[in-house]
Amino acid sequence: MKIKLELFGVCREFSDNDFLNFDFDEDIEIKDLRKEVEKFVSKQFPENKNFLEMVKKSAFSSEANEIIGDDFKLNKNQTVSIIPPIGGG
Amino acid sequence: MFHCEVVDVSKGEISLEKAQKFIESQKCGASLFFTGTVRDHNNDKTVTGITYDAHDAMVKKSFSEIYNDAISKLKLEHPAAFVEHAKGYVPLGGTSVIIAVACKHRAQVYEFSRFIIEEIKKRTPIWKKEHYEGENSKWLEGKQIQK
Repeated sequence: MKIKLELFGVCREFSDNDFLNFDFDEDIEIKDLRKEVEKFVSKQFPENKNFLEMVKKSAFSSEANEIIGDDFKLNKNQTVSIIPPIGGG
Repeated sequence: MFHCEVVDVSKGEISLEKAQKFIESQKCGASLFFTGTVRDHNNDKTVTGITYDAHDAMVKKSFSEIYNDAISKLKLEHPAAFVEHAKGYVPLGGTSVIIAVACKHRAQVYEFSRFIIEEIKKRTPIWKKEHYEGENSKWLEGKQIQK
């Protein structure tokens, strides 16, 4: 299963693209995706503790543009967005 | 009556003129215009501009929800609102957001406008990267969206 993770705000710094791709062999929940993003950030940016903290504080949203909780199931190829803490206006 | 948009400032601009035309109505006795602009300092640093990032679809959805919540919570009569937020680099003094509202009576427009901007800050997925003198820049830490 392929999950495309769209990046916003500070999380855009994770890649030169606007997204990250993850492959999973089985169905997962958002909490599993979060762990994978944490692993990715820890490996790619070991010096930057703020990035890891931001992933921990982020929400995620579905293709239907709904905020989804840690127990939301991902069971097919899809796009998910990471929503770090917000601050517009 | 409601209009909202995320405006990529490299392609277009947000303007008060457009907002004024949108909310004009003979049913409304009061209108109010709020603009957010980029100020020259924050946390003892000299700010030269802000890059705004947005999840466009979620932002527009959030703006609509905020508008509907305002109508039901504030019991507005003949409400109209125009909300546009910038996306991309906005220089010092530039406009980041316009909220134009109109209602039947004056007291309601103050509440209506305040409600919209405060809710945007709480729940709309927009992010700021501040640029400082000396070419440093930093994403500002905001508020966690509740899951």
